[in-house]
Amino acid sequence: MTMKLTTTVAFAAGMIAAQAGADTIKVGVIAPFSGPFAIYGTLYQNAIDVYQAQHGTSAGGHDIEFIYKDVGGPNPDQSRSLAQELLIKDKVDYLAGFTFTPNALAVAPAIEQTQTPTVIFNAATSAINAQSDYYLRTSYTLWQVSAPLADWAYDQGIKTAITTVTDYGPGIDAENAFKAAFEAKGGTVLESLRMPLSTTDFTPFLQRVKDRAPEAVFTFLPGGPPTFTYTKTYNENGLRDAGIKFLGTAETEESNLQGLGDMAIGLTTAYHYSAAHDSQMNRDFLAKLEELHPGAVANWASVGAYDGVHLIYHMVEVAGADGPKAVESALGLEWESPRGPLKMDPETRTVVQNVYLREVARNAETGLLENAETGVIATVGDLGWGK
Amino acid sequence: MRFLPLVFVALAAAAFFVFPYDLAFLTRILIMIVLVLSVDLILGYAGVPTLGQAAMYGAGAYAAGLFAIHVWADPVAGLIIGGLAGAALAFVSGLIVMRTHGLTAIMLTIAVAQICLEIANRARDITGGAEGLRGIRMEPVLGLFAFDFIGQTGYWYALIVVCVVFAALAVIGRAPFGMSLRGIHESRDRMLAIGAPVYWRLVLAYTLGGAVAGIGGALAAQITQLVSLETLSFTLSAEALIMLILGGTGRLYGAVIGTVLFMTVHHLAAANDPFNWLFVIGGMVLAMVFFLPSGLISLGHALKGGRK
Repeated sequence: MTMKLTTTVAFAAGMIAAQAGADTIKVGVIAPFSGPFAIYGTLYQNAIDVYQAQHGTSAGGHDIEFIYKDVGGPNPDQSRSLAQELLIKDKVDYLAGFTFTPNALAVAPAIEQTQTPTVIFNAATSAINAQSDYYLRTSYTLWQVSAPLADWAYDQGIKTAITTVTDYGPGIDAENAFKAAFEAKGGTVLESLRMPLSTTDFTPFLQRVKDRAPEAVFTFLPGGPPTFTYTKTYNENGLRDAGIKFLGTAETEESNLQGLGDMAIGLTTAYHYSAAHDSQMNRDFLAKLEELHPGAVANWASVGAYDGVHLIYHMVEVAGADGPKAVESALGLEWESPRGPLKMDPETRTVVQNVYLREVARNAETGLLENAETGVIATVGDLGWGK
Repeated sequence: MRFLPLVFVALAAAAFFVFPYDLAFLTRILIMIVLVLSVDLILGYAGVPTLGQAAMYGAGAYAAGLFAIHVWADPVAGLIIGGLAGAALAFVSGLIVMRTHGLTAIMLTIAVAQICLEIANRARDITGGAEGLRGIRMEPVLGLFAFDFIGQTGYWYALIVVCVVFAALAVIGRAPFGMSLRGIHESRDRMLAIGAPVYWRLVLAYTLGGAVAGIGGALAAQITQLVSLETLSFTLSAEALIMLILGGTGRLYGAVIGTVLFMTVHHLAAANDPFNWLFVIGGMVLAMVFFLPSGLISLGHALKGGRK
């Protein structure tokens, strides 16, 4: 209790000092730092470290300080009270992080009321940004990657597909996006299977896919164990041999990729970032990451955070702690990211970016699996806006 | 002991002035106390083990949230609806659960909560599914006190609800009904032998516990203006049980002390080290189970060397 008291006193003193002219802009990062999703917190923090190592810890004469808060997992109540605490007690000027859609949605009333620009590093359902004008998203939306994949597949001569998605918000978003785009082109989705979040055995679903014999199977799975099992079942049940093409998005992301092993080779995904992206900026990013955190992986969450920090630095430089002005300055902003060129779409407040088609392959030099980019299939913003 | 309730209320009131920036957190403690009290009624008084109290808490939260959105946003009416929802679910599930004992009962309580969780997840159009039930905008309490962003109204409102629930449970505990629950806890056979309707007493206790948990859930829905699937999660049930065991079962103060201790340590540890705080919680629970198996409330007793 005394400790608490000391913090309160120190805080009160700090507030007076802040008013007297000392200038630190605080950014509250709400993300999972413990439990099964702790990897996200680590990825964000590593990316923030890299950005600060490259660009310093101040922008426009303001020092920038990050305050990390652990939300544990998909827990909107906790997310909301952490945001409240950050805004009221720590007096943060910006919020950032947000891995899960419900956590991001939960803070909408708070950021609206306090006019706090909130940069989403990951959460990928289109509905979020419509809830408040203070949301800015540097990750992607499921529509953004799933719809171009459907278009591409149709253009490759694939006319029938089955969608298999995990039965929760993002999965359903992905299903809707793929289906809408594929059918708009003239393709047929034979069946849409929704698999419970806790599924550990995908055999029944994939057997059903095999029986219907579509030309491709589109899937959306949460990262980690489900992806291992799914791809394993996809191979072992002979879907690959039957020529049913695998179409995915985040399934082959870098933090799980090596674990998938040879069975992942040849899997096709459409996504906005591959650690194997061929650009000087990406190589610099990876080199700095390796230097600061040896052995750390970089994936889409890393660049989501890296670009999010870039956006925050820009806003701080232009507008300091003035929330509405900061958001205003971010709209339409264009910059170069490790994933390629980005533009903050003024309408949807989600970045417009390249969607790459990738195929898992073994890198001849390092012997490691990587998502080899074979081309850009679309440069789009949030296609799910208003849907 | 007579003045103990006053001491607690005075401490809670003092907390309001000492930690003006932590009201959101303090309010969460108060809400959690209501849930833990409900577990105490069922486990501590009646001796029925439960790991599914979140089912009633979540039912109360969703009922109060939906009631506020679609019918009437009055907070007190919402509390009553939440309590009724919790009681209804507890009564129906209690009819089955109370026919069993021990491990079977635990399994059944877990199952009920899991089923509710899956229903809430599937009924996306009604509950909002994984995105949570949003859009709850409460009217002022009693038409006078509007909910504010800092959480001042929410804190006092929650504190009053805790006091009312606590007082009600204290009365029930001393009433013949409470005595018979303790009797059942001590020896079910003896109570049967003296002609007490053990099964119905337990169903009633479970229903009352459900009502209290439902009120807690309703409180959470109104104050956070949001209901998520987490309100039905196994973790919540388990944490409530841990808090009760930390404080001491069978004593209402145990529930209060355990909740305050667990949540404060959790909060401080997570704030100081968002990466490794779980170790601190684990260590605390282990230490408590080893050194004070009857909970923190037995500390005075243990220090005098009079351990049971």
